[in-house]
Amino acid sequence: MKRLLNILMASTLCVSILSACGGAAPESSSSAGSESAESASSEIASSSLPAESQPEGTPAEQTEVKKGDPDKKAILVVSFGTSYNDSREATIGAIEKEIASAFPEYQVRRAFTSQIIIDKLKSRDNLEIDNVKQAMERLIDEGVGTLICQPTHVMHGLEYDDMVKEVNAYADHFETLKFGEPLLSSTQDYRDVVAAINQEFTVPDDTALVLMGHGTEHFANNTYAALAYYFSHNNPNILVGTVEGFPDLETTVKDVKELGVKKVILTPLMVVAGDHANNDMAGDEEGSWKTVFKSEGYEVEPVLKGLGEYQSIRDIYVAHVAEAIKSEETK
Amino acid sequence: MKKLAAYLLSALLVAGIFSGCGQSNQPRPSESPSSPVQNAKISFTDDDGRQIALEKPCERIISLYSAHTENLYSLGAGDKIIGAQDTSTYPPEAAFLDHYDYDADPEKIIAADPDCVLIRPFITRKVPDFVKALENAGLTVVSLYPETFEGFDGYIEKLAMLTGAEDTAKEKLAQFHANLNAISDMTAGIAEKQTVFFESTEVNLRTVTPDSMPGLAIKMAGGENAAPDVQPISEGGTIAAFGAERILALADDIDVYVSQRGAMNAGGDLHSITIRPGFDTIKAVKDSRVYVINEKLISSPTFRFDKGVRELARYLYPEQMDSLVQYQTDTPATKRGLANLLVRAAHLPVYVPSSSKYYTQEHAGHIYGLFEDVTWQDQDFDFIETAAVSGAVGWEADGEKQYFRPDAPVTREMLAKAVFILYEFEAKDQHIAIGDLDRCEKPRIIQTLVDNGVFPLIDGRFEPDKVMSCREVAETLAKLTPLTEQTAAA
Repeated sequence: MKRLLNILMASTLCVSILSACGGAAPESSSSAGSESAESASSEIASSSLPAESQPEGTPAEQTEVKKGDPDKKAILVVSFGTSYNDSREATIGAIEKEIASAFPEYQVRRAFTSQIIIDKLKSRDNLEIDNVKQAMERLIDEGVGTLICQPTHVMHGLEYDDMVKEVNAYADHFETLKFGEPLLSSTQDYRDVVAAINQEFTVPDDTALVLMGHGTEHFANNTYAALAYYFSHNNPNILVGTVEGFPDLETTVKDVKELGVKKVILTPLMVVAGDHANNDMAGDEEGSWKTVFKSEGYEVEPVLKGLGEYQSIRDIYVAHVAEAIKSEETK
Repeated sequence: MKKLAAYLLSALLVAGIFSGCGQSNQPRPSESPSSPVQNAKISFTDDDGRQIALEKPCERIISLYSAHTENLYSLGAGDKIIGAQDTSTYPPEAAFLDHYDYDADPEKIIAADPDCVLIRPFITRKVPDFVKALENAGLTVVSLYPETFEGFDGYIEKLAMLTGAEDTAKEKLAQFHANLNAISDMTAGIAEKQTVFFESTEVNLRTVTPDSMPGLAIKMAGGENAAPDVQPISEGGTIAAFGAERILALADDIDVYVSQRGAMNAGGDLHSITIRPGFDTIKAVKDSRVYVINEKLISSPTFRFDKGVRELARYLYPEQMDSLVQYQTDTPATKRGLANLLVRAAHLPVYVPSSSKYYTQEHAGHIYGLFEDVTWQDQDFDFIETAAVSGAVGWEADGEKQYFRPDAPVTREMLAKAVFILYEFEAKDQHIAIGDLDRCEKPRIIQTLVDNGVFPLIDGRFEPDKVMSCREVAETLAKLTPLTEQTAAA
């Protein structure tokens, strides 16, 4: 990356290319973002670019990004976010705390990817939570040079991809930038999650445990099928369904029928028991998973606990941070 | 059927409330501009201090506050609203008005040429330039908001003056206060009062002042407020600081923990309240008596406040408020009666959509308020909607249109499905033989209910299509234990 940067710098043509990237900052309408991008470019312009090489009428441009201090280390914990305050602290908050105590040489920061939730918390509760861009800019302003990004996402879906893209836009500001894996990545992760679920739930023969995931149009929707496959070889009474992907509710009902059970336990395959868990899964409304299973004649017990509330699941996230720290650089 | 409906109505302990929600509130014909009452000159000072002087009632109103929208509909003036803020979702038809917003360009409102724009002082404080732009364009802007419950009648009277609905307002207000008094009278006789803590925001665990609408609701519903001596955070406001420490100091005294949820305020939900550190020591949490109520019913200055008070009273004193004693009649039960009986017997809180995005979201089942044959003015609207939305009582679709069929008879299988949805039953290993199980649409449900002794067989058969009487429905429900105590805090 450094070599590439040097080559680019050698060419005046490429100056404009770099500047087109907005001083390595991604496009944003946020005023805080543009301010810091501007100040970064003017700082560099005074030291590196001869005035005559600048195209007329354009402001001083950035040619070299100032890297943070590698001894200033941070872990950015990136979550989708939730407006359920107590659940948030019991899940995302608990994961952040445990990461902080496991890696005391790192500062731990929070970012959410859902702007809707960030805005809601700001207007409703006057809580300020950074989005990824704001968190990255803050870390850069503070001169952090070693950064580990740890998502609390369940899998490598759209949210994860977007997060990586957003963070990578700032990659040149860090000596070291690494990403921790989401919950379900390696074979070991699947085994650990299967073990955690088995540890947390007792599933008698006459009962099915249905884990309700979100589901996605992203190819990572395969994750649910993969997890279901692990369960099928471990405890066939544990099933996986999704709200928006496949297997859908109809398929899950069919799968439960084939088990010949009397009772269904429903629980979210989500880090936080938020809206989907409260409404889609356990809601008292006609289309909820609870009501649909009841109307098929099953005893239904919803367990409204996010995955992040289980120690065994939080341990997996902490382990992912440790692996990221040990790993080769991933940016 | 009319006889049954009349019977059910008169049988209700708080009859006044229900008739207030319905019969007196039939859509009235809109008054023509030439009717004499409308020629009276309209003159008052609004809550921003503007002098309002109009020659005739308004015909093209844009409402930028959901309570104004709702109250205008209640006054029979819904047809005078040409647009509203998108938070206006009650009555359901308000959700389909054109949308206008104070956070948007005032030109959109100016272009719609309203003869009145209804705002509230909050909007004037938040976006003064927007309000000035409307006034500069020559529009009549009226800002109203009752800061206290005592101001409610005056507020309604001003809305009524603006729309020429003074007579309806008088009737509606009389009914509203009669409904509230009926609840107060009833709960006044209850010897063992429930102590209530009211959480208005999850952040910093705030409560409300005793003279706020929720504070008064607790009083009228017969509750003792666990936090009676609190001061508002801002002068004249209703939100009061409290905090976890003070709540936990009252742990042994709080019988019922009420949290309001909605767009403006957000107390915790059931799960979040139960997982807070130390909250497992609160009596209400231990006893699973945590009640989440929609802020629209309890904190908003609308005619639905009596429903909020009724709902709170039903939660505090379910036995007294939801008695089925009056339903012992051999008249054939209808779906209307079934909805009433189920909601009371199971002590279901009446359903109110919690999101202002409700009508723009996808729904797997019935959409609240959209039955062609049960409108929001129906006396049993809340009960029918609650029974339908819960999936307990079925409905029919005809293309895009949805029908409840309130006068249809209740069959044994219909009741079986409803009670299976609303109560918990254990599937037994040993089954009682049912001669006609193959004729039942949901054999698993029927088998479980027969095994649990909920439905006796008739000559060894279930008879799924047999029509039930009111008494049979009430007696079946009386055998069951409502879930309210078991499911809360699950």
